[in-house]
Amino acid sequence: MTPEPNPSPSPISAASQGLASCHVCGKVSPVTVGHCPRCDTPLHLRKPQSLERTWAFLIAAVILYIPANTMPIMTVQGIGGAEKNTILSGVVRFWEMKSYPVAIVIFTASVLIPLLKVIALVWLCLAARGRSQTAPRSLSRLYHITELLGRWSMVDVFVVAILVCLVQLGAIMTITPGPAALCFSAVVILTMFSAMSFDPRLIWDRHHEKPNPSSSLPSLPTNE
Amino acid sequence: MSDPASNSTTTSEPRATIKRSRRWSTVWIVPFVALALGAWLVWEHYRSLGPLVYVRFETADSIVSGKTDVRARSVSIGMVEAVTLAKDLQSVIVAIRMQPDSEELLREGSRFWVVKPRISAADVSGLGTIITGAYIELDPGDGREDVHHFDGLEKPPITSSSVPGLRLVLEADNPGSLNVGSPIYYKGFEVGRVEQRSFDIKSRRTNFDIFIGDPYAELVHEGTAFWNSSGVDISAGADGFRVRTPSFQAMLSGGATFAVPPGAVVGKEATNGTVFTLFPDEEATRKATFVADRRCLLFFDQSVRGLQNDAPVEFRGIPLGRVVDISFDYAPTGEKRVPVLIEVDPSVLRNPSQKAANEKIDLAEAVSQGLRAKLGTASLLTGALYIDIDFVEDAPPATMGKVGEYEVFPTHSSGLVQLEAKVNAILTKIEALPIEDTLNKFGDTAESLTATTTDARAALAEINKLLSREETQNLTAELDATLNQVRASVSSLGPSGAIQGDLHRTLDELRAALRAFKTLSNTIDDKPNSLIFGRDNKGGDPVPRSRR
Ligand SMILES: [Zn+2]
Repeated sequence: MTPEPNPSPSPISAASQGLASCHVCGKVSPVTVGHCPRCDTPLHLRKPQSLERTWAFLIAAVILYIPANTMPIMTVQGIGGAEKNTILSGVVRFWEMKSYPVAIVIFTASVLIPLLKVIALVWLCLAARGRSQTAPRSLSRLYHITELLGRWSMVDVFVVAILVCLVQLGAIMTITPGPAALCFSAVVILTMFSAMSFDPRLIWDRHHEKPNPSSSLPSLPTNE
Repeated sequence: MSDPASNSTTTSEPRATIKRSRRWSTVWIVPFVALALGAWLVWEHYRSLGPLVYVRFETADSIVSGKTDVRARSVSIGMVEAVTLAKDLQSVIVAIRMQPDSEELLREGSRFWVVKPRISAADVSGLGTIITGAYIELDPGDGREDVHHFDGLEKPPITSSSVPGLRLVLEADNPGSLNVGSPIYYKGFEVGRVEQRSFDIKSRRTNFDIFIGDPYAELVHEGTAFWNSSGVDISAGADGFRVRTPSFQAMLSGGATFAVPPGAVVGKEATNGTVFTLFPDEEATRKATFVADRRCLLFFDQSVRGLQNDAPVEFRGIPLGRVVDISFDYAPTGEKRVPVLIEVDPSVLRNPSQKAANEKIDLAEAVSQGLRAKLGTASLLTGALYIDIDFVEDAPPATMGKVGEYEVFPTHSSGLVQLEAKVNAILTKIEALPIEDTLNKFGDTAESLTATTTDARAALAEINKLLSREETQNLTAELDATLNQVRASVSSLGPSGAIQGDLHRTLDELRAALRAFKTLSNTIDDKPNSLIFGRDNKGGDPVPRSRR
């Protein structure tokens, strides 16, 4: 990955040698062995059905993203009636209360990051299929960022969970989680699964495939 | 990617053929599950929302969307979702999201009103809402139809329609201090409340909607009279002064009492919506147990000064009705007599059996028999008049006519006309007196008196003549001399006179001699021998008197 990896026209990949790294212990063995000689994990050249799984989790996340944002995430039953808050109404509320930092944090963690994560994964999947001309290194960086940020988008769910546990003052104030909380946690988990399912090596596979004109079996990675 | 593939093909090692017969990987279940889960959550969310209801209020005062909740008997059953101005800008439409399964509450006749702090003399309510904020109360109706658009009440009804009881209307000319929330009493026991007070512009009376609780509803009959029992009632009657005070609360906030007045027909049990008259006091109900439903017009050709609205109309002292109005508005053009509109209840004159049969009193028949209206003097002090309806003897025949919508009741002149008749009668009596004879006799007497006077004058003249004679005047001097002599003789005879002094002395001496003689005679009577022995001898032998 240092300055110029491309000048050498034929960097030899492990897969081209028929070698696969174990998913669990990382030991490199010939894929023909079938199972890792060290830990007996099944060996694959690439994560099996990587793109398919990524897409599936991604689509599920997108589906649940809609109710997560439109339905109330929590109901505050306090003096003067019950109040139902969606994530966006909460953001608007904080913004109106001039708590701009809080509004920005909630908006970023709860709306923006999941959305960006989904977009990034879609982009990566398309790139893995060769639908994007973006440099593989940029894509690789995007993948790292996606994985890194994805964990922090659980903020809202944690906030709701903590509030529900802490604020139970009987008649004065009660907070109950709404259906959006469930959807939201599902979105976060599904995007994490989606990111985990993605095999970043596919980006590089596509990249190395391009300079090599002898593409005899282009369908192989997709099958696996 | 081609490298491993070519590699694997070039090396002619035996290699397992990769078979992926399944077209769909199991992982695709995940989005379907997500879809199902999301759909279920959304469906569940909207299903749990319940029906949306629109209520129209005059103002959205203290209604906040998302905060104000809707309660039925203190159970929260919904939440205000939105408050918008109505299209005509005259009211507000409050959209209420009811809780699921609350369709049963949204029936025809359901009532909505805002519960907020209300403080008045008669009623303190909704104080709790000072802290918790106002809420909308729902009183479920009993209609069949589902309704989702309602008109909200501006004021809370005091009793919800689900409470069994009797709802009546009281009409009052003078409502007094009776107000919303004022209690209704029966024999001092609180059995109901005034729910609403309104003013009827047409009849110019105050209407009260009242509620009588269920166990007491059967106390109200058609013959029941309601009267205002607020304040202290002091009445002076033939039996002296009476002071009646209601309960303290009734004194403060007013109250009404009802009962069947003595002598009145009880009638059937009252039904919802029956209209009763609210009398100013209990006394009035006794006097006015009638329903003045017949309006008649009277025309008087004399002054009605002293006759006022509400003046009584009586038949030989029995109240029949009252004067409604005195105005030329009721007179046909060219009418010079004063029109007086009265309302009467002729059924007062029926006996109970007639009342039961609901027989009508035929006024026209009575008029043909001489029933007439007259002005009577109710009070000599104030000159107040009342209308006296009575049979008049020798009245000129009359019938009941009609002017406009009113029957015209024939009148009979009274007052000045009657006075004239009385004066006539007096004059007739005077005429019958034997004034002429008296005058003749008086003339004779006068003549003889004249003669006597003449004689007297002649006698006086002779006396004068006699007196003026000289002899008569000298006689006076002689008389004077004689009198002087007489006075002198008399004075000598007086106590200080010389004759009387001598006489006194002689008499004294005579008296002393007589006394001595009397003593002597007494002594001789007692002791005849005293002449010999002396007077002092007592007992013993008489001793000759010795010298002392
Ligand atoms: Zn291993």
